[in-house]
Amino acid sequence: MKIIELRGVKKYIGQEQILKGIDLEIYKGEFVAIIGASGSGKSSMLYIMGLLDKPTEGEVLFEDQKVDFSKEMKLSEIRNKRIGFVFQFHYLLPEFNLLENVMLPAIKMGMAPQEAKSRAYELLHMLGLGGKEKRKLYQVSGGEMQRVAIARALINKPSVILADEPTGNLDSKNTKAVMDIFKEINQRGTTIVMVTHELELAEEADRVVEVKDGYILRG
Amino acid sequence: MKHILFVSLKLLLQRKRQTLVSILGVSIGVAAFIVMSSLMLGFQNYFIQQVIDLEPHIRIKPREEKQNIEPFSVLLGEKPVEKDKILGWQELMKEIERNPEVIGVAPRLVSRGILKYGVKDKPATLVGIDPQREPKASIIEKFLVHKSLQRLETNRTGVILGALVARSLGIDNIGKKVLLVAPNGRTLLATVEDFFESGITNIDDARVYIHIKTLQSLLDKQGEVNEIVIKVVDVNKAERISKELQNSISYEVESWQRAYRNFLSIFKIQNIITYMIVFAILTVSAFGIFNIIMMTVLEKKKDIAILMAMGFLRRDILLIFMLEGFVIGMLGAILGSVFGFGIQEYLESVRLDVEGLIRTKGFVLDRSPVFYLYALIFSLFFSLLASFYPSYRASRLNPVDIFRSQ
Repeated sequence: MKIIELRGVKKYIGQEQILKGIDLEIYKGEFVAIIGASGSGKSSMLYIMGLLDKPTEGEVLFEDQKVDFSKEMKLSEIRNKRIGFVFQFHYLLPEFNLLENVMLPAIKMGMAPQEAKSRAYELLHMLGLGGKEKRKLYQVSGGEMQRVAIARALINKPSVILADEPTGNLDSKNTKAVMDIFKEINQRGTTIVMVTHELELAEEADRVVEVKDGYILRG
Repeated sequence: MKHILFVSLKLLLQRKRQTLVSILGVSIGVAAFIVMSSLMLGFQNYFIQQVIDLEPHIRIKPREEKQNIEPFSVLLGEKPVEKDKILGWQELMKEIERNPEVIGVAPRLVSRGILKYGVKDKPATLVGIDPQREPKASIIEKFLVHKSLQRLETNRTGVILGALVARSLGIDNIGKKVLLVAPNGRTLLATVEDFFESGITNIDDARVYIHIKTLQSLLDKQGEVNEIVIKVVDVNKAERISKELQNSISYEVESWQRAYRNFLSIFKIQNIITYMIVFAILTVSAFGIFNIIMMTVLEKKKDIAILMAMGFLRRDILLIFMLEGFVIGMLGAILGSVFGFGIQEYLESVRLDVEGLIRTKGFVLDRSPVFYLYALIFSLFFSLLASFYPSYRASRLNPVDIFRSQ
């Protein structure tokens, strides 16, 4: 089953063409790494796959359904329930503690606060952050913040995790920890699409898609 | 909606100092509105109420027109045509009494005069009244210190002095004898039977009540009246009734609204100025809210982007920040109402002699709860107005632009 499919996707930003006709299929349960140099268009591709940005031309299919980018409500619902995002920067909200940060997407989905809380506890424990749930961001390390961001991406049990340079700000120890988490999540059935410029990390994925100057070179 | 509350309240609570400053700003505006409204309308309503109670709702008087006195006719000993009296006043009163909108009618004879007491004298307005009929047309007894209106009936040489007239002459007890000098030079030694204190300075400082028959005799105008005063059921209809009356009689008919139109116009201007000041205060506090929410939006672009990425709608983002404005406005209104109530309590407890257009022993406040309701509506309106633009800006942010800029 295809989770995401891009058909002839082109993207312009101003006069500059970032994506020049991308055809890509992501299958359920895959761990796909997208590699490419800076400015190659890999992040733009990820934003389109995550329905955060719409292509200038071409089609996007999510779980075999054609995406209508004019329907904000539907796009938001898919992003909330079916997609989890992890970025290079954790983007955790500083006003909230770790637990509340993880709970946010679940509350948005309409999950009862108590249920959201117990699921967030469970995820934080699973990611080695048990006992630190009530801590604020300034009380934890960068690696721990990124794990919280992964827990937040997982709370609504999405079918795909889209990760944009998730280890870009981490040291080697934390990079390994994050990659181990991704592999474990993937083994449990969640599709992972990870953008990275580190070939070493990309090789840990099932499939590597190489992007250069807005085209897919391989994959 | 839970997710909006969850984020919005958290943002507010985590920025305690800024939130508190904004709430204080709104509360000052609200308190100012409540206190100023209650002070101003308290004073105005007190004045109007005294006027309504004391003064006739409608007054009929001869037209004020210049008499062309021919020197030749004076030389021949002819008297000019009298235009300072109401002819056929008894029939006119009976006719007016038949109107179901009229409670009572009373005749008056009004003249200028001078009061002398010892070495002091004071010009005054002599108002000749019928003690039997007058209470039907005005609530005069309410303002009498000793409630002795009927003493004018038993003692035809009795007078009731305005409190400030008495004070000017140095009279502080009833029973004193004053000399009343009429414009025609005739005098009457009158006994002070009561004092009259309405609280309205220009009335208390000029008016002297006397039995109408005594004044008629003093002025040599037996059986004459130059004013008919009318009390109506609904004071707000006085102007309409006066216009209807005016169409059927040749004398001048004046409602209390017209008689006091200068004051009422001043009150309107006063209200406009006061509400402009309050508007300015609320505008300043609205800018405070605008500022705090705009700052939050600019600082939290990244957070807004991630909220959108996790499925928050643009509408949700708008509501998160609008809710901040709403909560600030609401809490500001509650705190401002508490402040306003406290200030009202304090002002009401202050004892001081206010001497101006009215005289009271303290501030006259209108404690109507409607000011609190208006204050709540205004503060919410201003808060929501101030928070709309930054909230809208937040909702229009493009998350991809923000992620790319990191």
